[in-house]
Amino acid sequence: MDQKRLFLAIAISLAIMVIFQVVIDKFLPHPPPAPVVTLAQPQHNAGPAQATAAGAPGTAQTVPAAAGPRLAIDAPKLSGSIALTGAVLDDIQLKEYHETISKTSPLVQILGRRDGDKPTFVQFGWDAVTPNTPVPTDSTLWTASAPKLTPATPVTLSWNNGAGLTFQLALAIDNNFMFTVHQQVINHASAAVQLYPWSRVVRDYTPQEKTTYILHEGPLGVFNNTLKEISYKTTKNDGTNTPGGTAFSETSNGGWLGITDKYWLNALIPDQSENLSGAVRYLPTELGDGHAYQTDFITTAAQTIAPGATGDNLMRVFTGAKLIDTLDAYGTQYGIPSFDKAIDFGWFYFITKPIFFALDWLNSKIGNFGLAIMVFTIGVKLLFFPLANYSYRSMGKMKAVAPKIKLIKEKYKDDNAKVQQETMALYKAEKINPASGCLPMLVQIPVFFSLYKVIYITIEMRQAPFYGWIHDLSAPDPTNIFNLFGLIPFDPSTLSPFLAVGALPLIMGFTMFLQQKLNPAPPDPVQARMFQFMPIIFTFMLARFPAGLVLYWTWNNLLTVGQQWLIMRRAAAPQQTRQLAKT
Amino acid sequence: MSPAAKLLSGSIRAYELILRPVIGANCRFYPSCSAYAREAVCTHGAFKGAMLAGRRILSCHPWHPGGYDPVPQNIPEA
Repeated sequence: MDQKRLFLAIAISLAIMVIFQVVIDKFLPHPPPAPVVTLAQPQHNAGPAQATAAGAPGTAQTVPAAAGPRLAIDAPKLSGSIALTGAVLDDIQLKEYHETISKTSPLVQILGRRDGDKPTFVQFGWDAVTPNTPVPTDSTLWTASAPKLTPATPVTLSWNNGAGLTFQLALAIDNNFMFTVHQQVINHASAAVQLYPWSRVVRDYTPQEKTTYILHEGPLGVFNNTLKEISYKTTKNDGTNTPGGTAFSETSNGGWLGITDKYWLNALIPDQSENLSGAVRYLPTELGDGHAYQTDFITTAAQTIAPGATGDNLMRVFTGAKLIDTLDAYGTQYGIPSFDKAIDFGWFYFITKPIFFALDWLNSKIGNFGLAIMVFTIGVKLLFFPLANYSYRSMGKMKAVAPKIKLIKEKYKDDNAKVQQETMALYKAEKINPASGCLPMLVQIPVFFSLYKVIYITIEMRQAPFYGWIHDLSAPDPTNIFNLFGLIPFDPSTLSPFLAVGALPLIMGFTMFLQQKLNPAPPDPVQARMFQFMPIIFTFMLARFPAGLVLYWTWNNLLTVGQQWLIMRRAAAPQQTRQLAKT
Repeated sequence: MSPAAKLLSGSIRAYELILRPVIGANCRFYPSCSAYAREAVCTHGAFKGAMLAGRRILSCHPWHPGGYDPVPQNIPEA
């Protein structure tokens, strides 16, 4: 009775979820597309921060004309340009990454112009302590010392404020993803000047996040050696109605901060001996959806520049792919604390990172990430083999006590609990036990959780092909049984995302079913029913996950089944040989 | 039952119905670790019950014979 109600509850819940999805899609208003900003429109937007005493970089005040002069950037792994109006780094493409599997698709744009649909940019500036000191603004037109920035040719941008100060941005780029920027001020005037150099990464729109449970996307940074991840949502909630839109701020010696996507990072990395105030803000802007996410650094102490002297502030800018080797190399080269944590390793960092390395290494040796996952899973299975072997070995001995267990079952036919109890007592007396115990399972959970996370977040899997119908391991299986794998020209997933189950998830469900068949059912009848439902639930659940994960799960189930079969056969073998010896 | 005990007991039941089918039932004892934990929390309260359950999980490994191990009705003062 109780059980029937439980299953009814599950069925109703599932039905509600499916219907809800359909209703949401059909009847609720979709968010309107972001308004396209026309260039002719005058853009005036007073940043809230300009007035604050210690100074804080405000938002964009005007939108630089798209057609304004630009300094081209060309490096081995990225290309783009800097708008000379405002000295805004707002155009960077990654040469090695395309948006889709097609090699002719556009390159990934990780910094986007403010007149485009995905405005994201890096900018530098100064807040003046000395009153009436003209500092560069968004409309300042800078002069470049050369037409193109390449690893071989650094470029200096300069602007004279007409009051004795020359502001300079000395730019250099390396062969990977790192810019070095010297914010310089040359004082030709007769009086000393005090300035706070600042820098910021700004995103003028809210990206579509894939999931917030497994992966962090949005503002992040390391302050005083501690990683802080502030989601877009938290930034919005905490930054609304606070002075300067501040959702988070901390004074830190060194560190870094920026805005990250699943695979890409835009970050500011100061000189690690410098004391700075870092902040994450939610600010109004007239671009995109009206609000900007900003992460910024400003020096805690004002820089005093004596007459005739030059003030200099070093800042590095990372704009690129979160490749573990690259991040680690930069971390060592520049002493950046926890720079590798830009990759969301999560709670089990100490297990996740080695697994990350192992999978990347296997991928580089084998050349196919799907095969790398399979080889790695075999490795994990071998590691835990002694444990599994220890418990499965007793399964062979079980045959010897099988008659006794049969007796117990006959004796206590009507009392399932008593049967279990007597069976366990018998196992103890005979010093055998088919189960490996709860503790080993608990120990293994973090390992599998980490592996799962790595497979989900690693950039190596992005657009990595497997065999047959899987062309992108990081995307869900493209086939669908509900249109008979394409025989019916109709996409059922438009009705509900639950109606999309590919071939690989189906195979996964079957292997899970197989694996369960090899294990004894739990004594609790409700649990036993849940066990039977699990392969079905998992087939639907995993159907929308990256194919690489489903591949891992399928392969792991198959290995478990194979391992159990092998051990049970081996355990049974000695008895057979003894029988042979007798005859 | 105290609210804490109720919460614990509920989450153990949730584990039995959701997570256990995924990782498999592997207990060497009767009653199983989760059933033991629920009973211990119900009869001895959240804290003592959790301690008993923790001790049980720590002994549920291949080098312990396992067997029949019910929740003690009276806990000897340690």
